[in-house]
Amino acid sequence: MTASRTQFYLDKQNAKFKGVCSGIADYTGVDVLWVRIAAVLLTVTGVGMPWVPLAYMLVAWMATAKPIDLYQSDDDAKFWQGVRSNPRRSTAEVRSKFRDLDRRLADIELHYTSRNRQLADEIDSLR
Amino acid sequence: MEDFFNIAVPIVTIFVALPWLFLHYMTKWKQAPKITHEDEQLLDELHLLARRLEDRLNTVERIVAADNPDFKPSLSQPEWRPEGRLGRTDYSLDRRN
Repeated sequence: MTASRTQFYLDKQNAKFKGVCSGIADYTGVDVLWVRIAAVLLTVTGVGMPWVPLAYMLVAWMATAKPIDLYQSDDDAKFWQGVRSNPRRSTAEVRSKFRDLDRRLADIELHYTSRNRQLADEIDSLR
Repeated sequence: MEDFFNIAVPIVTIFVALPWLFLHYMTKWKQAPKITHEDEQLLDELHLLARRLEDRLNTVERIVAADNPDFKPSLSQPEWRPEGRLGRTDYSLDRRN
């Protein structure tokens, strides 16, 4: 439970070669296919010729592999992708979730209290 | 004169423009909002708590709706899918309560 979720990891579970591209995809939420296409195109066309493979190998060597049980579900993974890109918005999302819960709970409370008042009115009318 | 430009332009591009671009985005990346490890733990806990409370409230709303036909659960409640919920293991054992 101490593993950080805002850190870059190599994604060995979805790796094709070393897991750098799938790690970038997992970190940013971009589809892994586009990351791989970009990496291959930059290498093949010679635009980022020595740098892209060099950076790939450096990252593959320096970054640690992702712990297998880092996320409990896909929703969890998506939430943490949001946190990495914009923690403020994710915090606001959690707060809005709590407000929604509060509102729904208030609905239930109102339902029960108003029903009891009707019952009390009926008892009063019987007196 | 033209030779001078042919040499000067690539040199300026490589040794000034590219590091400039690189450092510019480096500083942008460094200035991006970051959260500390403690904040991360706190956010994780709050997120988990919100999801658990939502699950519980869904259950309570279903019970209330079953007992009182005139009670309408709010619109934001997702449709209940028994096969989806029973088949899915949302939380590992150490995160359940």
